[in-house]
Amino acid sequence: MTRFLFIFCTVLGSLFAIEMLKPVQEAVIQPFTGFLAALSTALILPFDDTVIAQGRILRDAATGFAVSIEAGCNGVEAAIVLIAGILAFPASLRHKLVAILAGFFFVQALNVVRIISLFYLGQWNYTVFEWFHLYLWPVLIMLDVLIVFAIYLQWLGKHHTQPEPDSC
Amino acid sequence: MLIRRQFVLTLALMPITFGIWYAADALFAGPAVWLCDLLLSSLYPDIVQGAGLQGANMLLTTQFGETNGQILPAREAGNQIALEINTRLVSYSVAFYAALLTASNLQESITKFCIGLFWLTGIMAFGLASIAGKDLLLMVGTPFLSAPGVPPADLLAVTYQFNVLLMPTLAPICIWLWQLRGSPLWQTLEADIKRASAQR
Repeated sequence: MTRFLFIFCTVLGSLFAIEMLKPVQEAVIQPFTGFLAALSTALILPFDDTVIAQGRILRDAATGFAVSIEAGCNGVEAAIVLIAGILAFPASLRHKLVAILAGFFFVQALNVVRIISLFYLGQWNYTVFEWFHLYLWPVLIMLDVLIVFAIYLQWLGKHHTQPEPDSC
Repeated sequence: MLIRRQFVLTLALMPITFGIWYAADALFAGPAVWLCDLLLSSLYPDIVQGAGLQGANMLLTTQFGETNGQILPAREAGNQIALEINTRLVSYSVAFYAALLTASNLQESITKFCIGLFWLTGIMAFGLASIAGKDLLLMVGTPFLSAPGVPPADLLAVTYQFNVLLMPTLAPICIWLWQLRGSPLWQTLEADIKRASAQR
């Protein structure tokens, strides 16, 4: 437990510090945030052709309403928590890599749902938008991280208890 | 099964706990504002005069003023810059924690909630101080950064990111997990952990 906490806190602090570095922001975080905006637009477009992506901004051409995906909205912080948890828990490197990739995918999948939902909530009612943006979605994303980590632990356990297939 | 029940119940309880938290207004943030006032006005008396509650907002009065767009010490400017900080940006952690704890149906849950609230109050105070640091950096700029004892801008940014964007959701989970020890849900989790770590 102590070992887990020590590695978790160290990895968490290190990844946070790395994420805040200017070169990392310019080369990784900002392009990734732009990609999230473009992906959200691509998912909305078949149903709503008035939406356009401009860098990190998602805009409705008809109403002029726009949301900008900023730090804290790109799901990177939640992914960092998950990565720290996975790296701190004893498992083989292959299992850790699979878990990080799958976990990152699940966190970002929910984050895209968050971005799209906020885009429409903001056009409908600003108070509801603020509630979901500031209070509810951060909790749901962190709950997602916890669920993914719990599934990872169960997956690791099942992997262990499954009998090895007979070799011919 | 217990883990699934925990997550489903947490989601189901969230509208109730968030409703109570919102209705309680500044009740949960009050002690954190007091702690933040104590912390900032004693550590940075040249920057912060004091902080108090105004509805759900924390009103932080600074020792800076403004004249013709120029930031000056309050005495020279003849006015004081005050910051309004939304305490709900950090206090929603209480609603999340309450949902997690209630869903677990633990013994002595009221006592556990009070202990959790105590820790969350400290974390909320740091969150409010981090928002104040970020706002002062953006509003006051150089006069704030050049004041004695103020950390560099990069450290203020990391602190804000950590204390405001991460801790309100991460801290309730950590406290809840700590208080879960010994419960049937913890035993299920422990069994999963043992099986998982045995495969290494």
